[in-house]
Amino acid sequence: MRLRSTLTCAVLLASASAQAAGRPRYGGELRVAHDGPPEVVEPALADTPLEATLLGLLSRPVCQATRDGGVAPALARTLSRPTSQSLHLALPSTASATALARAWMRLASTEGASPYRALFHPVRGEARQLTPRGDALELTLSYPWPDLERSLCHPALAPPASASPLGPFTAAGRGALEAQTAWPQGRPYLDRLLLTATDQRGLSRLWSSRQVQVELGVASETDAIAGAALYTTFLAFSPRRLPPDFRQAVESAIDREDLTRLFVQAPAQPMPHLLPPVMLDAPARPRPPALPASAARKVTLLYDASVEDQRAVAERIQVKLHDRGYTVALEALPRAALRARWARGDYELMLHALLLPPIPGPALAVVLDAGGRRDLLGVELPAIGSLPSAAARDARARERALALAASVPLVPLYAQGLGMRFAPDVGGVMMDAQGLPSLDSLFVLPLEGTATGGRP
Amino acid sequence: MSRILALAPVLATLPAQAAPASAESTAAIPRLARQVATAVRAQRVEAPVAVNVTGGSAELRRAVSTMLASQLAAAGLAPVVLDAPTADAAEALARAQGTRTLVRLSLDIEGGELRARGDLLGTWVNFWSGRTPTRPSKPAATLVEAVPADAAVLALALESEGPSTSPAPHEGTPQGIRLLGATLARLEHPLAALAAGDLDGDGNDEVLALTEHDVSVFDAEGRLIARRELDHLPAAGATTREPFGALAVLPGPPRLAAWSTRHAHGELLALDKARGTLRVVGTLDQAPLSATERGPFAPGQTTFAPAVKLAEGRTLTVPAPFTTASLDGRRMLFVYPDGAAAYYAHAGAAPVRWSSLGAGSALGDLDGDGVPELVTTSPLLSPSPDVVRVYATTVDDPGAREPLWQGALPPGRALYAVTANLEGGKRREVIVGLWKPDGTSELFLLRQGAP
Repeated sequence: MRLRSTLTCAVLLASASAQAAGRPRYGGELRVAHDGPPEVVEPALADTPLEATLLGLLSRPVCQATRDGGVAPALARTLSRPTSQSLHLALPSTASATALARAWMRLASTEGASPYRALFHPVRGEARQLTPRGDALELTLSYPWPDLERSLCHPALAPPASASPLGPFTAAGRGALEAQTAWPQGRPYLDRLLLTATDQRGLSRLWSSRQVQVELGVASETDAIAGAALYTTFLAFSPRRLPPDFRQAVESAIDREDLTRLFVQAPAQPMPHLLPPVMLDAPARPRPPALPASAARKVTLLYDASVEDQRAVAERIQVKLHDRGYTVALEALPRAALRARWARGDYELMLHALLLPPIPGPALAVVLDAGGRRDLLGVELPAIGSLPSAAARDARARERALALAASVPLVPLYAQGLGMRFAPDVGGVMMDAQGLPSLDSLFVLPLEGTATGGRP
Repeated sequence: MSRILALAPVLATLPAQAAPASAESTAAIPRLARQVATAVRAQRVEAPVAVNVTGGSAELRRAVSTMLASQLAAAGLAPVVLDAPTADAAEALARAQGTRTLVRLSLDIEGGELRARGDLLGTWVNFWSGRTPTRPSKPAATLVEAVPADAAVLALALESEGPSTSPAPHEGTPQGIRLLGATLARLEHPLAALAAGDLDGDGNDEVLALTEHDVSVFDAEGRLIARRELDHLPAAGATTREPFGALAVLPGPPRLAAWSTRHAHGELLALDKARGTLRVVGTLDQAPLSATERGPFAPGQTTFAPAVKLAEGRTLTVPAPFTTASLDGRRMLFVYPDGAAAYYAHAGAAPVRWSSLGAGSALGDLDGDGVPELVTTSPLLSPSPDVVRVYATTVDDPGAREPLWQGALPPGRALYAVTANLEGGKRREVIVGLWKPDGTSELFLLRQGAP
């Protein structure tokens, strides 16, 4: 609650000067363009920064991780620890508690096929059995895990968007979202958001003709701001189906700088380690020498058909591995099918993109699970969680990420953030620790000298 | 002499009930004295050391001189306090009294800080210079020290309300206003509402502060009298993004009416001063705008709906939803979210439109002439620094005119202002509520200071 208030103060203190009797004014609408899908429903699959932002308008996780290292309640009214080993969540209604418990149990289950289930590893039973008590949900820990609250703020842990209100806005049809007055953290300042899905050319056109006030998913680096680069893409490989020297072949062939400069959408950074540079800023190891050419080998690389960057990167990998004696066939799949193949271990090569939590310990958990090393969670996480200091836990997670790199069949490639831009008359621009903008904090700045009495 | 003035020496050393052991170390004047003494000792001065303090009120000068002399004495510097009208006179007097060092300080209170500025010089009389007052090369230093002012400082700096030698002004002609400010109290959470009223029946107002989590009662010196947690109240169906609420002292047996928009209803509380508690005596279903007026919140917004239920039971329809109301039983001020306002000179009057007001706005007689002034903060969304302005209410659209007085506030957003009668005089004090960037709040007290 304190952090919510801090956020509020920060919004007001950081806003531009305009006549408004000191407080942001309610009302008005903003036109928002983005290059994402027109509809996002399933949180565990809406894990690009853009899709997580869009979904967050309609459905929020229980909390929001703030940039000062804290947690602000979102869907939950309060998060409290009756004991150090249990977390009590007070939700706005029995329906929202039930929806959340159902979503978490599904995510934690085998058929959920989501690497974000690793965030529940410290919870007793890994959240496979949750029973809400009225509008409350209680989680009991299997081992000390002080970062549980911040883990639960991950967008993938939001309940699926539904007709019942679970976010600050509700869908009103044809891309319009209406402010939800009963949102537990207070209704958005705006009355309405009008969303338009387009492509990069459409974004440029709409912006230059001033038809929109907010753009999300902007690739331009000139007039855009970027959220934290936590959307990480790995090349996952099956150690059972590929030779032991495959990692060396890839590392020698792929230039990460080359990928971020030429093949993926900005803002992007090369990622040489299992955790992104925003969390683990260690120098990259020197690229290993190329192996002597061996007999030609055919492999299939699966990638996400809905992410344009992945197609370009897959083609680049295809070319580069050809030089190392691999004939790579490319297969584009819908994200749900891709995750299902990952869950079954049914792949040779796969581009695996993850929106990592902004804390090293939980981020490492997700990476280990995504790399098929779920067996390591029970060893690594209790050791991290036993450290009372947040800085010590983060340091330990970074250290383990470096130490475990060779034993996890993932080749880290790059990390991306969400590019966005806001018109000058938009106030209250605020980012959370996940690198996502809080669109419910936006408001329309009144023009100087437009005080005419009464509300707009 | 006012009650506060009489208690001033005590207040200077006991500003906070919560931590009496550390009062000496946190009170503004002892802190300033310590800082100055440390700076003096750093110059390796010779005893005896003369101290001459100018600026501020006589009481403030004496208090600072006393505390500084105490610090210097503890350091073995044999201080002598000089009362001299000018800096030159102080130097001559120091030489005449045979001191070796002179500390000359000028005091002022600005932006919530008590500042001491001046110099330190050697006053050793060189026999070979004859009657020429030559100075030694050492010690010589500038002194600039500042500490956050507190209520004790303001009490000492208070301008006397004794009989004036100047002719009485006509009613409605504001007298000179010069406010001095100091931090009264700090709160862990952002303010949702601020009010003042006599809750304990002693004839002086207490300061009441509401946050989303609790309601607190402070005395005139910023000491916490009572606090009640509100988290047990049921959550509101439609809360606001920002802390917001309503707070008032109701007449009859004095009761405190408090309602944060975070909660489904408010509470009516009675103060048990002996126990330092607030006891629940009822619930509220209408937001208290003042002692007798009520109004509903606009759901989910930091405004009140424009239908005000007046004391006599009649409903007044204000031109628009308002974010701030200041009602003194006769005059009424409603500030809209865009900084415009409606002012009613009396309950039956037509509203007059005012402009450029801040969310922190209040009516109150600051100069004791019987006519309230308008106190208002900046109308900007993000002023840096925020300001408090005082206007006459007898003119058309005060916000469009030159203020009678204005001053900068400490960092933060000033969204609340009330006037209070903290010490029983004719002049009301101003309390401004500030949201700090770290999510806490500050109550900033402004009162008439020495010219």
